[in-house]
Amino acid sequence: MIENILLFLLAAGLPYYILLEQVSVLKSKHIFIISGVLLLVAIIGSGYIVKDHGPAFVIISLLSSLFSIYRATKTTNFYKLGYHLIVVNSPFFMLFENEGMLYSLALLVSLTGIYLIAQFYEKNYGSANYHHITGITLVRPYIGTYLTFYLIALALYPPFPNSLYFLEYIFNSDPDLLWYLVIITLFFGNFFLSMRVMKKTLFGRPNSNIHYVHMTAKEKATHMFIVVLLLLLSVNGVKEMLL
Amino acid sequence: MEKIILLIPSIPIVIAFILFFVNKKEFIPKVSIMLSSMVALLGLYGTYHVISTGTPIIGFDGLVIYNELSAILVPYVAILGLVIRKYATKYMWDEPGYKRFFVLLNFIFSAIYLLVMSNNLIVLALAWQLMSISLYLLVSFNVGSNSAVKNAKWTMIVHKGADLVFIFGVVLTYKTFGSFDLAILSEKWLSMSHSPVDNPTIFIIGLLFLIAAMMKSAIAPFHIWLPYTSEAPTPVSALMHAGVVNVGGILLNKLAYLLLLTPAVLNIAFVVGLFTAIFASLVMLVVSDIKRSLGYSTVGQMGYMIMEVGLGAFSLAIYHLMVHGIFKASLFLESGGLIKLARHDSNLPKRLTYELFWEEKIKSNSKKIFNYLAFFTILPVLVFIGVKMVLSEEFLEFNASIVILAFAWLTGTQLFLSFFKVSKSESLKVIFALVSSFVIILFTYEFVGLALEHFIYGDDALLFYEAATLNVTMVMSLVMIAAIMIIGWLFMYKQHLTDSPKAEYRSNNMKWLFYKFLVKEGHYFSILKIFKKDKA
Repeated sequence: MIENILLFLLAAGLPYYILLEQVSVLKSKHIFIISGVLLLVAIIGSGYIVKDHGPAFVIISLLSSLFSIYRATKTTNFYKLGYHLIVVNSPFFMLFENEGMLYSLALLVSLTGIYLIAQFYEKNYGSANYHHITGITLVRPYIGTYLTFYLIALALYPPFPNSLYFLEYIFNSDPDLLWYLVIITLFFGNFFLSMRVMKKTLFGRPNSNIHYVHMTAKEKATHMFIVVLLLLLSVNGVKEMLL
Repeated sequence: MEKIILLIPSIPIVIAFILFFVNKKEFIPKVSIMLSSMVALLGLYGTYHVISTGTPIIGFDGLVIYNELSAILVPYVAILGLVIRKYATKYMWDEPGYKRFFVLLNFIFSAIYLLVMSNNLIVLALAWQLMSISLYLLVSFNVGSNSAVKNAKWTMIVHKGADLVFIFGVVLTYKTFGSFDLAILSEKWLSMSHSPVDNPTIFIIGLLFLIAAMMKSAIAPFHIWLPYTSEAPTPVSALMHAGVVNVGGILLNKLAYLLLLTPAVLNIAFVVGLFTAIFASLVMLVVSDIKRSLGYSTVGQMGYMIMEVGLGAFSLAIYHLMVHGIFKASLFLESGGLIKLARHDSNLPKRLTYELFWEEKIKSNSKKIFNYLAFFTILPVLVFIGVKMVLSEEFLEFNASIVILAFAWLTGTQLFLSFFKVSKSESLKVIFALVSSFVIILFTYEFVGLALEHFIYGDDALLFYEAATLNVTMVMSLVMIAAIMIIGWLFMYKQHLTDSPKAEYRSNNMKWLFYKFLVKEGHYFSILKIFKKDKA
């Protein structure tokens, strides 16, 4: 039981970021990293611990998820969006016994991409806030393309692994009321949050007050690596789902 | 050898990948068109194979199939794709994101091919969603425009809803029938249809798939995304109105045998289709924006398509979506070209049709109303009966025949009014053109409809009509159709063929309310505003 409670906390079943945000030395970037590392520990841990998450765990994480969706709509910071999304997706980890692991892994890889984009914004535009950095698709197609990939993956669209694992698990599970609630929440929650970012930074007229910066070759290669990783996970997802 | 045809959905992905590495702008469309013609050729070869051998091509462990339905739709989509790409070569030249456009175009075509050729519900679900996201990126292609992005968002919300409903449908199908394979499922559904089925879950599954189809095919009340997406580039509009919006019809054809078990779902499809067809056609006449008007025209046609499915005329829906697609794509592409021309020269030459039908000649004489009445009611019925007797043995056996009569008449009239501005003068040419368009459409629909029916479903086609038939007597049907035709004719007569002196004009509150209802598109947005006000 204690292991399961630990796993529940590691996989962000509770919005612990509320407490971390109160700690003045921790910036949103650090909270993002902490959340990511904890989720990774949960993914690894779930390979050793037999999960036994009762409906109470799922209901609590679902409430946390709904709260985090609300909180995520109030931010325009990539780091904050990142750690909110980890909590948003936690019910999936709780609901699907051992299978939520790969979904969470795909989520983590996509969020690594978002983290790198946030770092890029922070380095070149002063902060990871994307509010006025509009029209990226038009002015910087490379970064626009990578960001589009990550957001499509997070919005649960194929061919990215998040969607494939999501579908695989729901096709192979028995629906009940809680199942429907979790699926609908995640399906639309992830979608609306991703579309919101698309609208605010990928689309729109380029801001004439901003000097848009190109990615360096190293940055491009890093993003390419993440996209390839996502596609490899997709291949695995397709195999698991269809074969 | 013929298995290579099954690679068709992957070819546009390969093209998109190649395009990433093409730096010279003029090579982008060339590469895209050249490689896409390969898809068209493969599609035609596949069609030849299916027709000549009579057997479908199945591969990838039965996940993908090139059957009779694919044999018709894949070459259609491929050729449409070629035309759109060729058109976009020049049209999109000055737009920012030229390469992005061709890449996205290839992605959406890949999704459509996969959707058409899928033989597995999971593959279908993936293609269904891939198409949504590609469409979103294409509709919001003009990223600098706030309204384009906003309308794309609405499109996406409706499509996301359709995705979820579809996924629930797939989950329930698997739980109920134990397979994702469409071929196995179709056989199972066909064998189950021989005895009465009393399982509410099957009804729910059918209903979920119908709702998913309605959402993507812009059927009321989910229609609102389509008329507002005209800000997308013209080639995208053409693709959307000719290809994407038809997926509802394609989906229902793929699941035709399931619908055999749920006649109630077919009846619902008929009712919503009929309502959409009438509502959208009326709104089309009153909205002030020409692009929205075209959008509503497509919504109306989709209504007809779903209505045909509701009647059990599944293959006719396929024919309808193709014919409408070609018609609407040519309309959009022509209008795009015309707008470009008009920017350079405002004095466009008058068309021959304009001179034939528009110029005022003789003053109208409303006393001849009964002659017109005869022309537009009795004559079409006689023509229809004649055509049915020539083409079909099962003369007026099912409700479908009766509705096809109304449909042919409406389409003929709509076609005529779309192409020609009708004069207020009394003209025999107008009558002749209306009646002849009716005859042509009726013949082609009956002839091609029957041929397609035989090709796609063989003898099973009759089962669909039987499942969809309502217990309405022939006399009742004829009376209803005659009533609709008389009302329609009177409306058109008042609109186009009579002069009403302004002095005699009296205000009519009901008429005014009805007009306001239509012009505000059924108060759709007012309802949303009420919610916003409450929130405030």
